[in-house]
Amino acid sequence: MLSYKMSKFIKRKTGNMVLKIEHLTGGYTGVPVIKDINLEIKPGEALGLIGLNGAGKSTTIKHLLGLLRPQKGTIVLNDVELTKQPTKFKQQVAYIPETPVLYPELTLAEHLELTMLAYQLDEQTAWSRAKELLKLFRLDDKLDWLPVHFSKGMKQKVMIVTAFLADTSLLVIDEPFTGLDPLAVANLIDLIKKAIANDKMVLMTTHVLADAEQAISNYAVLNNGTIEVIGSLDEIRAHYGLKSSDAFDKLYQVLNQEQQHA
Amino acid sequence: MRKLAQNRLQDNLRQSLKYLMLVFNDFFILALIFLFGALMYWYAQSMKTMPQGRWFYRPLVAVLLWLPLLTGNLVTLLQEADLQFLLPQDEQMGQYLTPLIKYSMVLPTLLIALLAGILFPFATLKAGLAPANYLLFVVAIWLAKFLQLKITQQNLYFGRKISLVLVNLVLLVVLSLAIMQPVLIWILLVLLVVGIIAMHCILKRKTLFDWRYAVAQEEKRKNQVYTAFSMFTDVKEKQVTIKRRKYLDFLLPRSLAKENPNRFLYRRSLLRNPENLNLLVRMTAFAVLISWLVQNWAWALGLSCLVIFLTAYQLLPMADEFDDNIMYRVAPITRKNRGRDLIVALSVPMLLQWLIISVSWLLLLPLNLQLWEAIGLLICFSILVVQLYLPYKIKKRKI
Repeated sequence: MLSYKMSKFIKRKTGNMVLKIEHLTGGYTGVPVIKDINLEIKPGEALGLIGLNGAGKSTTIKHLLGLLRPQKGTIVLNDVELTKQPTKFKQQVAYIPETPVLYPELTLAEHLELTMLAYQLDEQTAWSRAKELLKLFRLDDKLDWLPVHFSKGMKQKVMIVTAFLADTSLLVIDEPFTGLDPLAVANLIDLIKKAIANDKMVLMTTHVLADAEQAISNYAVLNNGTIEVIGSLDEIRAHYGLKSSDAFDKLYQVLNQEQQHA
Repeated sequence: MRKLAQNRLQDNLRQSLKYLMLVFNDFFILALIFLFGALMYWYAQSMKTMPQGRWFYRPLVAVLLWLPLLTGNLVTLLQEADLQFLLPQDEQMGQYLTPLIKYSMVLPTLLIALLAGILFPFATLKAGLAPANYLLFVVAIWLAKFLQLKITQQNLYFGRKISLVLVNLVLLVVLSLAIMQPVLIWILLVLLVVGIIAMHCILKRKTLFDWRYAVAQEEKRKNQVYTAFSMFTDVKEKQVTIKRRKYLDFLLPRSLAKENPNRFLYRRSLLRNPENLNLLVRMTAFAVLISWLVQNWAWALGLSCLVIFLTAYQLLPMADEFDDNIMYRVAPITRKNRGRDLIVALSVPMLLQWLIISVSWLLLLPLNLQLWEAIGLLICFSILVVQLYLPYKIKKRKI
C-alpha cells in the first residue's frame, strides 16, 4: 500500500520535471534576435543547440539564465517559472559560460564555498564531491590560489567543477570544448553522460560535433533566430537533403545560404 | 609609426590635462601657493643665518638636483593590443620612440629648471660654486636624465637589461663627487656625452623588440600615474589588481554556517580589493596623523569622527561591485537583503578602525580622563554610523 502511494507520489513529482521553453521571442533592446522558440527537455535528456555564429544560440541561453527579459513567451523548469520565481528557478540551473567568468577576489576553494552557499548544498557532502571533481581535472593542489591568474583552460575547468558541484537538475553549457586539453574534454564528456544517466537535463551549444556526439544524440538547429528542426544528426541530414556521404559541415553551408536569402 | 606615436601623444596629453585640471583645482592651487610661499620665506630667512662653505653643501646640491631624475619614466604609450597589431614592426620601433623620448624629457626638464632656479642662491653663495660651473652641472643633470631614458629604451629590446636602480645609484654617487671640483664637472659632461653616443650605437644594432616586457612596463607606468591622480579624483582607467593577502585571512569567519553569498563576497572584497583596503588604511592613517598634529582630545575626537564617517560613506559603493559579473547574476543569490549583509561585513573593519585610532591616541596624546571619554564617544559614533546612517543610505540608494 505504502509503495503504491510512494510510486504515485514519485510519478506526480517526475511528471512535471521538465524544462519547457514556449513561444520565446527576445533579444537585446527592441530588435528580436530569436523568434518563437519552442523547446522541451525531460530528465535524462540532453539537447545540443547548433547553428552559425549569430544564429541566436547565446541569446537563447541568456534568456534561459534570466540575463535577458523575454519580449514574449515563457520559460518553466520543474513547474517554476523564471520570471515569477527567479531565485527558485536559478537554484535548479548551473551554467558553464563560453569564456570563464571568475571572481578576482576569491580563491579556488572560495569559489567552491560560494557555490555551496548560493545553491545551499550540504558542506560535507559537497566537499567530498568537489575533491573528486578537482582531482579529475588536476586542480586539487591549487585550492588556495586565485583562479583569475590561471590559464584559459584551467579557468574553464574551474567553471566546469563549480557547475557540476552545484548538482542542479538543468545544466546549461555554452561551447565548452575550446581551450580544454583532450584529457579534460574526455572527462567533461564522461561527466555529461553521468549527469544524463542520473536524470539531469542538459542543454549545450557547440560547433565541435565530433566531441558532442559522444554524449548527446539530439540536436536543435537554430538559424535566423528560429529553430528549423530538432532530431538526431541523421534526421537533420535528411531534413536538409544532405547525402549520407556528405560531410556534416555541409549543413553550415546550407544554413549560410538560407541566411543570405532570408 | 611616427604618425601613430604623435596621435597617441595627443590623446595622452588630452587625458593628462583632463586629470591635471581636476587635481589642480582652485583650492589645491591656493594651498600650494601658500605652502610654496612659506617654504620660500623660510628659505630666504635661513639663507641669512646659515654659515658659509660647509663641506656637505655641494653634495647636498647634487642630491637635490638628482631627485628630478627619479621622475618621468619613459612614456611609450604601448597598449596590450600592440602585441597583436604592431608585432611585425620591430625595426620601426626606434622611429616610434623618438618623439616619445622627447615627450618624456619635458617633465624632468621643467622640474630640473625649477629646482635649479630655487637652489641657485644656495649653490653660488653658500656652497661657493661659480655660476658658470653651476650651470654646467645643471646641464650635466639634464644629460644624465637623457642617458637614463636611452638606457630604458635599450631595455625594451631583447638582450641584457640594465637595472635602473643601479643606474640611478651610480649617477647619485658620480654627481655628488663631480660637484666637488670644476674639472670633474667637465669630465662628467664628456663622459655623459660619450655614454649617450654609445647608447645610440647600441640601439642602432638592436632589432628584436621585447614586446611583452615593453607592454608590461608601460602598464606599470600608467598605473603609477593613475594611482597618483586617484588620490585626488576618480580615475576610471585605473586597473585594479587583486592581491591574495593570505595573512589577513584570520579576519574571515572560519565556518560557513552563518554565512550567506553576499556577506562571503563582501568580506573578501574588503580584504583583497586594493580599492577598499587602501581606502580603509589611508583613512585610518590620516585620522592618526591629524590626531597627533592637533594634540588635543576634543579636536582629535571631532576630526576622527569625520574620518570614520567618510570611510563608511566611501565604502558604500562596494554594494553593487559584483553586478557586472555574469556568474553572480546567474547564481541563485538574492539581492534583496544585501544592504544588511554589507553592514555586517563592514562592522568588523569599522571596529578595527576605531581600535587603531584609540590605541594611537593612548600612545600619542596626553593621557587624561577626557581622553578615555573621547575613546568611548568615538565607538558610540562609529556604531551610530554603521547601524543608523548606513541602513538609511542603503534604503535611499535601493541597494
